[in-house]
Amino acid sequence: MADKKHYIITSITLGAIAACSAALIGVTNMVTRDKIAQNEQNKITSGINSIFGNDSKIADEAPVDSDYKYVKYVYTVHGDGDQLLGYAFRTSGSNMYGKISLIVGFGEASKDFEGLSIVVNEQTYASTLVDNYINPLNEGKRELEDVSCGATYGAKLVRDMVNEASQVINEMWKD
Amino acid sequence: MAKEKGFTKKNFLKGIVVENPLFVSILGTCPALATTKTVEAALGMGLLFTVVLICSSVLVSLLRKLISEEIRTPAYIVIIATFVTIVKMMTSAFLPELYSTLGVFISLIVVNCIVLGRAEAYASKNTVFDSFIDALGMGVGYTLAIILMAFFRELIGTGAFSFGKIFTFIPAFKLQIIPVGYEISLFQNPAGAFIVFAIILAVIAFINNRKNELKTNLERQAKIKKQQEAKLKAEQEKAKQVAEGETK
Repeated sequence: MADKKHYIITSITLGAIAACSAALIGVTNMVTRDKIAQNEQNKITSGINSIFGNDSKIADEAPVDSDYKYVKYVYTVHGDGDQLLGYAFRTSGSNMYGKISLIVGFGEASKDFEGLSIVVNEQTYASTLVDNYINPLNEGKRELEDVSCGATYGAKLVRDMVNEASQVINEMWKD
Repeated sequence: MAKEKGFTKKNFLKGIVVENPLFVSILGTCPALATTKTVEAALGMGLLFTVVLICSSVLVSLLRKLISEEIRTPAYIVIIATFVTIVKMMTSAFLPELYSTLGVFISLIVVNCIVLGRAEAYASKNTVFDSFIDALGMGVGYTLAIILMAFFRELIGTGAFSFGKIFTFIPAFKLQIIPVGYEISLFQNPAGAFIVFAIILAVIAFINNRKNELKTNLERQAKIKKQQEAKLKAEQEKAKQVAEGETK
């Protein structure tokens, strides 16, 4: 009988701790949710500006067909005088080292890859990936397929994301 | 039980010097190696770590009589994970640059041995105030330790100290110490972190060995002196006895 009572009290204690924890996390989520979404939107805008220039702005945003593994949204990017500068894709993916979310830009005039910008980088080798692969790729000092950089698995994921975005933009241009 | 005078001060300082979690206990080395590229990132990591450590230690101490032996570890993990999640959300919302820089290492505070270690070894057996002071000392000790590592890594690896990139509420500035071209970028890589960590540990070991050597020497000298004094006393005693015998 005493054993039964002990186990009931123990279960209730653990359940109460878990419930309080869930409530605390829920309240924090309510407080921070909007601010986090706003920060993410700012990152997308600044990422597009870093690829297409400071005058660029998002003219349209649309979700991409769910058949694609990484590409989630496409943004139509316009310049100062409302001329079409190109398209940017919001891509997200993860591997055993963590999550990555990128903006991949393609120029309308060049019909080519313009650059990429990071929105979320939760890879364990995050800074190695940025310093040895993403930055040199943006500066034209590294080929997309050259993934041996000290964060090879992360680079492979980025390469696959860019390749899938290329596939989507080529289909769009073909149409 | 009455506490000795200066217990609180000793309790706080032990985490910084004699029981420093990183340099003495060699705990929490993974984030210490990964987040010490810049002094600013190390300071951010140290602050988040200290907040989680203090909150979890205080709550564990507060609930120590309610949490039974069987559910101690799961209960502590739930408490620590809750605070880490809250800190992660807050950082993502209000310090997005720090969140981007530290990345996965904020979530990894959950599995940091120091936090669970202090909850298990100290907070579960002591009062809320003592647990708070202990956690504060350990947090400050860990923060200072990673800042020391970051100081050398940023200085040698980039030749300069940059501020305002992560804590964007302070104006950005760069302090060039070593002329451009003379920096050693190896110190910005993981290998550089291991080298700096090893050198600091070697210096600490050297200082401790010197201290122990000095202490042993002093003890030996005191022992020899004592022996000599005893011998002298015995000789004087003997001479006195001989003199008394001759007088008789």
